[in-house]
Amino acid sequence: MTVKIRFFARFRELLGTDIVTEVAPGAMFSSLITTTARKNPAGYAAIFDEKGDFHEFVILMKNGKRIELTDAAKTPVVDGDEIAVFPPVAGG
Amino acid sequence: MIAIQTADVDIGALIAAAKKQGTGAVVVFDGVVRDDEITEMELEAYEEVAVQELEKIAGEATRQFGLLHVDIIHRIGRLTVGENILIIVVSAGHRPDAYSGSRYIIEEIKRGVPIWKKELTRDGGRWVPGEHGHGSGKPQ
Repeated sequence: MTVKIRFFARFRELLGTDIVTEVAPGAMFSSLITTTARKNPAGYAAIFDEKGDFHEFVILMKNGKRIELTDAAKTPVVDGDEIAVFPPVAGG
Repeated sequence: MIAIQTADVDIGALIAAAKKQGTGAVVVFDGVVRDDEITEMELEAYEEVAVQELEKIAGEATRQFGLLHVDIIHRIGRLTVGENILIIVVSAGHRPDAYSGSRYIIEEIKRGVPIWKKELTRDGGRWVPGEHGHGSGKPQ
């Protein structure tokens, strides 16, 4: 199945965006982001701490709806999902 | 009008359009690129979600403050010092509601709409930090 990962702002600069990737059925939200972020050590370090947990300021969305960081490891992705990963917002 | 766009807007035309029947006050908020020793500012948005969030904020402001009209236009792309970033135009029967509605909208945008700014300088650039612990409102 295929999902799209969108990084924004500093995360986008480090990891790219609109990444369409094949994932195995049953894959969890956090493992997918971990695998994708590992392609760039600086990008990984921007999103995850040394223990491999999300930095507490990271914001996750699935199909435009917020996912709590603590739920990411138990939230499965399904075919066609759009996943967004971004730092705190600063508009206005 | 609720929009995320690169183009600037005609604020005078927005004010004219905001004067619906019963209007006694129009409040305009115009956020501009400040001269913080930068060359330009680059703005980026998660557009689909940001527009939905702006529409929700406009609806909530209308309900809470009895606004007669709301425009929110947030620009993205590269902007130079002095250019408009965010224009909010609201109208209401009386000034307290117009002021309160406008203030509510800008604070909610800062709290949770997925938009980011990068200040570009001669030495490179720096992302404007968002408020830690916030960022996209409450989980839905």
